[in-house]
Amino acid sequence: MNKDASYWIAIAHLPRWGYLKINSLIVNFYHENKLSPEEFFQLNKQDWRTIYNLDDNQINDLVQAKADLPNNAFLAESLYNDGYELISITSPDYSKTLKSNLKTSHSPSLLYVKGNNKILNKQSIAIVGSRNASERSLEFTDNISKLASLDKKVVVSGFAKGVDKQALDSAIKYSGQSIIVLPQGISTFSVGFKAYYKQIVNGDVLVLSTFPAKATWKSELAIARNPIIYGLSEEIYIAESGEKGGTWSGAIDGLKRNRRIFVRNPEADEKVANKLLIKKGAIPVDFNGNQIELNRKVNSIESNNQTQEQLKLPL
Amino acid sequence: MTRQEAEILLSTSFKIDSFYDEQWETIEKLLNKERVLLIEKTGFGKSLCFQFPAIIFEGTTVVFSPLIALMRDQVKKLNSLGISAKCINSEQTQEENAQIINEAKKGEIKILYIAPERQENTEWIEATRLINLSMLVIDEAHCISVWGHDFRPSFRRIINLVNLLPNDLPILATTATATNKVELDIARQMRGNLTVIRGSLLRNNLRLFVVKVNSEDEKLIWLGKNIEKIGGSGLLYTGTRVDTEIYCRWFTHLNIKSIGYNAGLDSESRISIENGLINNDWKCVVSTNALGMGIDKPDIRFIIHTQIPQSPIHYYQEIGRAGRDGKAAYIILFYNPEDRKLPEAFIEGGRPPVSKYEKVIDLLKTEMLGLRDITRKMNCKQTPIEIIIADLLDQKIILKNSKNKYELKTNAPQLDSEIFEELRNIKHNDLDKMIEYVETDQSRMKFLCDYLGDNSITEFNNCDNTGLKKIIVETSSEWQERLQAFRENYFPKLDVEAVKTNLINGIAASYYGFPNVGDAIHRSKYGNAGDYPDFLLKLTLQAFRKKFGQEVFDIILYVPSTKSGDLVKNFAIKISQVLKFPISHDLIKIKQTQEQRILENKYLKTDNVKNAFLFKVPDEIKGKSILLIDDIIDSGATIKEIGKHLTNLGAAKIAPLIIAKTVKGDVL
Repeated sequence: MNKDASYWIAIAHLPRWGYLKINSLIVNFYHENKLSPEEFFQLNKQDWRTIYNLDDNQINDLVQAKADLPNNAFLAESLYNDGYELISITSPDYSKTLKSNLKTSHSPSLLYVKGNNKILNKQSIAIVGSRNASERSLEFTDNISKLASLDKKVVVSGFAKGVDKQALDSAIKYSGQSIIVLPQGISTFSVGFKAYYKQIVNGDVLVLSTFPAKATWKSELAIARNPIIYGLSEEIYIAESGEKGGTWSGAIDGLKRNRRIFVRNPEADEKVANKLLIKKGAIPVDFNGNQIELNRKVNSIESNNQTQEQLKLPL
Repeated sequence: MTRQEAEILLSTSFKIDSFYDEQWETIEKLLNKERVLLIEKTGFGKSLCFQFPAIIFEGTTVVFSPLIALMRDQVKKLNSLGISAKCINSEQTQEENAQIINEAKKGEIKILYIAPERQENTEWIEATRLINLSMLVIDEAHCISVWGHDFRPSFRRIINLVNLLPNDLPILATTATATNKVELDIARQMRGNLTVIRGSLLRNNLRLFVVKVNSEDEKLIWLGKNIEKIGGSGLLYTGTRVDTEIYCRWFTHLNIKSIGYNAGLDSESRISIENGLINNDWKCVVSTNALGMGIDKPDIRFIIHTQIPQSPIHYYQEIGRAGRDGKAAYIILFYNPEDRKLPEAFIEGGRPPVSKYEKVIDLLKTEMLGLRDITRKMNCKQTPIEIIIADLLDQKIILKNSKNKYELKTNAPQLDSEIFEELRNIKHNDLDKMIEYVETDQSRMKFLCDYLGDNSITEFNNCDNTGLKKIIVETSSEWQERLQAFRENYFPKLDVEAVKTNLINGIAASYYGFPNVGDAIHRSKYGNAGDYPDFLLKLTLQAFRKKFGQEVFDIILYVPSTKSGDLVKNFAIKISQVLKFPISHDLIKIKQTQEQRILENKYLKTDNVKNAFLFKVPDEIKGKSILLIDDIIDSGATIKEIGKHLTNLGAAKIAPLIIAKTVKGDVL
C-alpha cells in the first residue's frame, strides 16, 4: 500500500491541468525540492505561489484538492481493499517504457492497476486494430501475439472488440502475458475482472487504467487511452486500420512522436487503410511480423514529408 | 481554545462542569489535529474526549464502534443534548441507513457512528466520497491487534484508512483493555505522530471473589441459594449457549427472575433484553460473553462467571461492566478444575489443519468465491472456514472485494503457519494466567492491573484475599433433590419456526449429550439393540405434555429414515398409541440422501435434504395440525424441509417432537 495514495489521487486529477503541468509540478517538488506529496500539501498558499510559481486558479485547485484528501483516503482504502494498486509516476514500479515514450508532457501521473505489476517493466508489444477486423487481420493478430508470447514479450491491448480482444486471448492461449489498458476507471471493470480472474491471479494479466477509478466508459476516454497503449509498448503492430477512428488517430499520433509502427502489409483486395499508413511512414510487415524491406525505404522518405504535413493539421 | 473556555462550552453543551486532566490532555491534542491512543478504564469518560472536539470541528466526526448497544445509547444521549448524532448499523433497515448516509453527505450530522463491518456497504463507500470528515474515532481499538483478546478482521480496513488519511486529520483510538504488547502493536500499526495516554485501571469498588467448586451441581446450588441475597441486578456469564438455557431454566424453576441472551438472538430480542436489563426487569441476565460490551448501565451490581474466561484481559473487560456508578459490585468467578477443558478446546480447536488452508487457496486460484460457495465446496463447518478466511486475509494472501467475494491476490505470499503456533502458545499462556488468578493468594485487583500493564502502586483491599470473607459452597440433600427434580423436567426447546412455513417451535426430550439418553439412542441406532427403550418414550411424552399440554393434533407423521430402519416409525407408532392421535405412514423419501451427521455445515445439510420428501396423500393434511416425530435433531434442516413441503400442501400447523437434540450447533 502506498501511504501517499490520497495525495497522488489529488495531484493526478487536478482539474484541467493536463499531464504536462502536473508532471512539472511533481518534478519540481518531488525531485528538485525533495518534498514528499504530504509535505508539499502542508505548504501554505504563499509558498505555492512563490516557490512553485502557481497562479490563483491553480492555488484554488490545490486548496480544493487538499480538502478532498480525507475523501481520497476512503477511496484509496476501498481500492486497496479490492486488490487494486496505485502507482505514481515517482514509483520504481511505474513503467519505464511508458515514461520514456511519453515523456513529462504526456505520461499519466498515476496508474491504477490490478494484477502482476512486474510485467509493467518487461519487454512489450502492442497489437491494435479495428473493432470489425477481417479474418485475416485476426489471424495476423493471433500469430504476432503467439510469437511475442514465445519470445516472453508482454502483449499490450485495449480490450476493444476485434483485434484488441484477439491479441489478449491469443496471448493467454499461448501462455504469454498481457496488459489490458482500460478506456474507463479501474473499479468499473468488474465483468472483465471476473472473466480474466484466473490469469490475473496467476500473474499473466495486468489491468491498467489512468482515469479516476470510478469513471465510466466514454468515447473521449477510449481515445485518450490509445496513446497509453502505444506508450506502454516498445513495438507497435497494427493489424488493420480504417481511414479514421481510434486505430488510425493513434497510429498517426505515434508516427508524430517518431515511433516505429509496424503495419500488416495488406493483400491487394483488402479495403483497409493499412497501405495509407505505410505511406505515412509505418513499416510494412508480413504474417510473421518480418519487415518487408523493399518498399520500406521508398515509403519512409515519402512518408516523412507526409507526416510533417499531418502535423500541421489541427488533430 | 483554553481549558477554561472549553469548560464553559462544556457546561452549556454537555451539562458537565469540568474535564479530568487526562480528558483535557486528549482533547487539546485532538484540537491540535494530532493522533491519540487513550487507554482508560470503563466509566472514565472516554467518549467525551471525542464528542467535545466533534462539536467544535467543522464537518462530521466518524466513530467506528463494534458495539451497537453503545452506539444507540450514545446517540440517544447526544440527541437529548441537542447534538446531531446518528448511527449506521445492521440492526437498522437499509432505508434508514441510506437516509442517514444522505444526511451525512449534506453535512447535517456532527457525530456519525458506524459499525466497522459496514465499511463494505456500497452506499457508505459512496457517502465517503462526499462526507466532510473532521475527525476519526476508533472505539475498542484493541480489536485492531491480533495480540489482543478480541481481534476483529473488520478493523484491518480501519487501520489501512488511518494510514491513508492526511496526517493533520485528528484521530482518536480508545480502549479500556490493552496490555503493553497490544498498546505497542496498535501504535505501530497507526504509525504517524501518535501520543499514548494511559490511565489507572484500578477499580476499587469491585469486590472480587473466586469460588472453587467440584461440580456443576455446586454452582447451580450456590446460585440457587444465594443469588437473591445479592442486592440489585446483574449478569451471569456462562461458557456456552446451552448453559445459558440451563441456568436460566434453573432460576425459573426456583422462581428467580432471569432471561437468557446470546449472539444468536434476533436484534429485536436483543434490544428488548438490553432495555429490560437497564430497567432491572430481572434479577439477572444469563448470557454468553456476547452481552455487555458497551451497555451503558451504571448500576450492574454483580457479575458472576460460571465458566473461567480465556484470559485475565477477557475477565477484566467483562467485569468492568459492573459498578460503573462507583458503588460496590460483586464479582464472582466459579472454578471447577474441569472447567479449563472448554477454553482449552477452543484454543486447540481454534485453527483448522494447514491442508484446509491450502484447499481454500487452491479453490480461489480459478474463481472468486463467496463464503457460502467456499463452505459448500469444503464440506467443513462454517466456523473453521471463517477462521481460515480471516487468517488468509490477515496474511494478505486473499482479499474480500466489494462484492463480498474472496479473491486470491496476485503474487500472494506463502501461508505462514508458524504464527498460528505462536498465537496458540500465547492463548495457552493467557489461560494459565487466568488459572493463576484463581489460585493466587495475593490481591486479585493488583493481579489484573499488573497483567494489563498498569503497575501503579496502590493499597488493595477489595477481594477475598485481602480482607473480604471467602465464599465456600455448602450443599444439602434438600438442594440436591430440588436439582434432581429440575433435571427430570428439563426439555430442550427446538427453535425451528420460520417465515413462510407453518412450522412451530417444538420440543426435545433431552440433549443427545446427556449420557443415558445419548447412549440409549446410539445402542439402538448403531448397536442393533432393537427399538428405542421405553424410558425414552416416557421422557418424550413428558416433553410433549410440558410443551403442548392437552393439545390435540390431527395426525402424527414421522421422518422416514436414512439409516436406522423402522426405529423412528416404531417409536412414532407407540407415541400415537399413547396420545391417541392417528398416525400416517405416507411421508416418504423420494431422493437418496446422505446421513445428515456426516455433512459438516448447514448449507450442505440443507442441500442434502432439498426436495427429498413427499407426502403421498395431500388431502389428508390440508388444514390439519401435525405432530412430526424424529429421533435426533441437529441443524434442523430436515425438519425445516419437511415443514416447507407440508406447508405447501396446506398443513395448518407442524409441531416437531424429537427424542434428542445435539449440542454441536449450540456451542457459542
